[in-house]
Amino acid sequence: MREFEFLQPKSIDEAIAMRVEHGERLVVFNGGTDIVIQLRDRLIAPDYVMDIKKIPGLRDITFTEKDGLHIGACATMNEIGTNEAVKAHYPYLAEAALSVGSKQVRNRATSVGNIVNASPLCDTGTPLYAADALLCIEGKGGRREVPVREFITFVRRTVLQKDEIVTGIRVPYDKNLRGIFTKVARRREVDLSTICATVARSGGEWKLAFGAVAPTPVRMPKTEALLKDRAITEALIDEAAKLARTEVSPIDDVRASKEYRLDVVEVIVRRCLKELA
Amino acid sequence: MKYRVNFFLNEEPVELYVDANKTMLNVLRDELCYTGTKEGCGAGECGACTVIVDGKPINSCLVLAPEMDGMHITTVEGLAKDGELSPIQKAFVEHAALQCGFCTPGFIMSATALLMENPQPTRDEIKRAISGNLCRCTGYIRIIEAIEDVAAQYQKEGGAN
Repeated sequence: MREFEFLQPKSIDEAIAMRVEHGERLVVFNGGTDIVIQLRDRLIAPDYVMDIKKIPGLRDITFTEKDGLHIGACATMNEIGTNEAVKAHYPYLAEAALSVGSKQVRNRATSVGNIVNASPLCDTGTPLYAADALLCIEGKGGRREVPVREFITFVRRTVLQKDEIVTGIRVPYDKNLRGIFTKVARRREVDLSTICATVARSGGEWKLAFGAVAPTPVRMPKTEALLKDRAITEALIDEAAKLARTEVSPIDDVRASKEYRLDVVEVIVRRCLKELA
Repeated sequence: MKYRVNFFLNEEPVELYVDANKTMLNVLRDELCYTGTKEGCGAGECGACTVIVDGKPINSCLVLAPEMDGMHITTVEGLAKDGELSPIQKAFVEHAALQCGFCTPGFIMSATALLMENPQPTRDEIKRAISGNLCRCTGYIRIIEAIEDVAAQYQKEGGAN
């Protein structure tokens, strides 16, 4: 690892000031499970590493029916996955959080880090896409909330500005929403997703979110429109599963071929529609 | 630039000046000579570097040295009390749950953390708890049996003490 200065701001304002001052030379450090590896492999060579874990309040997870779920930026995957409110009201998100890495990794890795990293296969991406979650962002100009679907713009690209940090994620509460998280990987534990997905329904509304099938996680607007308010029959399932294939653009990589991914998208849609019908 | 860190290592207070571009694993092994904690992959895949921080298992290869400030860290060296091995350590010996031994400290720390949190885990819970630890020798069966054995002892005695 190259030498760098380690900063530990004690407030969000201080963190924003440091980010403004050091710009591109600073990397924000949270759970560190990706950043330490990138530092070690010299994929990044920042002059400043800013650890945000000493900022009070960023580790909290709160839930009310009115405001929904708020996950602080520094809440770990294990804290999210074992939180009673998350398990009760967002079980598909809990499952996704607990599907990441190993127990050791989940005691450090965070969902906000997972999203800000903007990998197409981020495991907590699809449940948040399906639940229409919002990223809570603070910057020099104040606070804003950005839908997660607009936050990630491309592989490892987000709309986060140079004077901003993500302080948490807000997941609206919908008492009718039922969702299924699916992770297809080469092994059951400690692996990256070959494909991950969250399929959810709230009454007649369907929300299909898939990861590792395009440069960003995606929703499937055409398939969702096809399913809206319709009775789920074998014929409709078949039509929806085939349409879903057209809404993704997977590539061949070390984990799977494009064709395999297209087939698995179809299989996941079929299984989830049957289960949620 | 050096960073001053104060932490507890196996219940002993430590004050140290560390480099930011070193990991907790580097500090434990190279500065403090606690070489029980091993470096396998250095990327959070193999679990050989597992230590318990504030009651939870983590990969020490993924923690930057200045972050150690304020932590309560337990390494494999901290498990034996008054010259007597911990129940998990004894069970690994009795079950011969190792061959080359390189992964053993990591497994013992993961197993110890599991039994602290859940003294009577099922076989599936044991498998999940050690899924972040790789062993290339044993095939895992004896490791799982060793942990089950300690869990059974705890059940008889009514909890982990």
